[in-house]
Amino acid sequence: MANRFGLPDLGVGLGLRTVHYARILEARPDVDWFEIISENYMQTAGRPLHYLDAIADRYPIAMHGVSLSIGSSDPLDRAYLAELRSLRDRTGALWVSDHLCWTGVAGKNTHDLLPMPYSEEALDHVVERVRAVQDFLGAPLALENPSTYVEFAGKAMREWEFLARLAEEADCALLLDVNNVFVSAYNHGFDPDTYFAAIPFDRVVQLHVAGHTHHGTHIIDTHVGPVKDDVWRLLGGAWRRTGGASVLLEWDAEIPGFDETHAEALRAREFIRRAD
Amino acid sequence: MNRHIVDVDSVRERASATPADLRENHRQESRGARARFEAANAASSAARPDSHLVGLRDEQLWFARAVMTPEVAPAAVTDDEATGVLTSGPRLCAMDRLEIYRRSYHARLVECLADDYSVLKHALGETQFEALCRAYIACHPSEGPNLNYFGRKLEGFCRDEAPPPFALRDFAADLASLEWAIVDVIHAPSSDPLTLEGLRDVPLEAWSAARLVPNSAFRLLCFESPVNGYFQAVRDGTQPPIPSPRRSATVVYRSGATVWRMDLTAPMFEVLSALAAGESLATSLSKAAASFGPIDEQEAAQRVLGWFRDWVGSGLFGRVEVR
Repeated sequence: MANRFGLPDLGVGLGLRTVHYARILEARPDVDWFEIISENYMQTAGRPLHYLDAIADRYPIAMHGVSLSIGSSDPLDRAYLAELRSLRDRTGALWVSDHLCWTGVAGKNTHDLLPMPYSEEALDHVVERVRAVQDFLGAPLALENPSTYVEFAGKAMREWEFLARLAEEADCALLLDVNNVFVSAYNHGFDPDTYFAAIPFDRVVQLHVAGHTHHGTHIIDTHVGPVKDDVWRLLGGAWRRTGGASVLLEWDAEIPGFDETHAEALRAREFIRRAD
Repeated sequence: MNRHIVDVDSVRERASATPADLRENHRQESRGARARFEAANAASSAARPDSHLVGLRDEQLWFARAVMTPEVAPAAVTDDEATGVLTSGPRLCAMDRLEIYRRSYHARLVECLADDYSVLKHALGETQFEALCRAYIACHPSEGPNLNYFGRKLEGFCRDEAPPPFALRDFAADLASLEWAIVDVIHAPSSDPLTLEGLRDVPLEAWSAARLVPNSAFRLLCFESPVNGYFQAVRDGTQPPIPSPRRSATVVYRSGATVWRMDLTAPMFEVLSALAAGESLATSLSKAAASFGPIDEQEAAQRVLGWFRDWVGSGLFGRVEVR
């Protein structure tokens, strides 16, 4: 346990996807852990929970959300939080994460991870909301750096400064997505090492990797295809700085069979060894 | 009996990724990006426009308006506004960077509807289905944190709101109703199924007043077209023609992880409608008797027995209540 929250290094896990349910339940493959998208198991009393219960009985689970909208200027959605907590209690998830972003405003939800303006005002706003969520959950919330395609002009901070200050001031955990660092570094023209140098790695409880799609002028975080070697190398460096954090592969479109997806995730071990 | 299972992975999950369908779109858009980038750089080197936005709320309202404006409509913000609020990147101007989010917003929701309505997409063809989705997204933007229910109004939208010309309006509405019922029972709570063994506990004299309560994940549907047959033919990989209107009825229900669809004859529909409305078994059967046509009582009883054996065996009922 290298992080300050005492959360375990679960090893190398996979994002749980419905196309793999049957294989997981029938073959019970040797997987270190699974991450679930929280919302896929919320506002449902049906089949998704039927499968999740069976899988959570056999594997460690962490929850990863896409709709907390921690940066929105709308009020926090208390009903959503109550359901989030209830799902955490049901699955015994080891931690709950979401993104440093906002997903909607004025009652509308875009279901996208929209970029924050990195201003002092926004920082104060998010710090207060993270504290409120952590109080409600009774546990640290892990926030993930999103892939971004724009930056707001004239703001006080870059993303890494904002994230570092947020983590310290709200006393929250971090989920560092190294693919997102790579994507945003290309899209905004910064050096990933500058980003890493600012991150308080003792707060990083989990690392994400994923595939992306390069368009020449920009990179889109599509979670398609194998992880690029540049991203794997970033993972190795980030993992070494954490002193050991759980690693997770996200693969969300054109998803191959379970064994191929798992084999791709396990490549993480090779790059972690190289970085040691 | 013509009963079908819906594939386990027919409803896909949501994720944090930007939709993969966006990739081709991006390749096309990227072609003029360099010229726009250079033009924007030349303009902003003279004087960068000031942002007119004050504070986080203002910034988010502005951004959401830009992102949620339909792609067929002109952009909701001007190049100057975008350049005042957002930075240019190393290779894209502010407006092109902002447009990534507008395309992503619409592509994600179209993808969500395509997941829930894959057979409707087949019936309409990709172009008309996407146009329908985009009109729906503009009329019914999501207001909740969960995409599971985003598509719930599509049947009504097809029937009453979708802009003309819409040649398959009634068929599309019926098909949307069937596909939404599948999504609905996937997420509905399911009761433990009543079993044939459970029926044996009911005393013989109690049967006429007994109520057979359907599984809570149960939807009884009637249509103006035989949409379930069309749905199955598409799932079987054939290219069926759009069927002519003909009244049909289908029950969709879930038992455990299995979602069933079953076409119903008129007497079956009468029986299940009455049971679902809380009528006793005797009343339900008497309502159905009228639609049997000219067959003798013994043959009718044999048919009904066969239905109930099949329905109970596949978990259609949740419990029996004996008064």
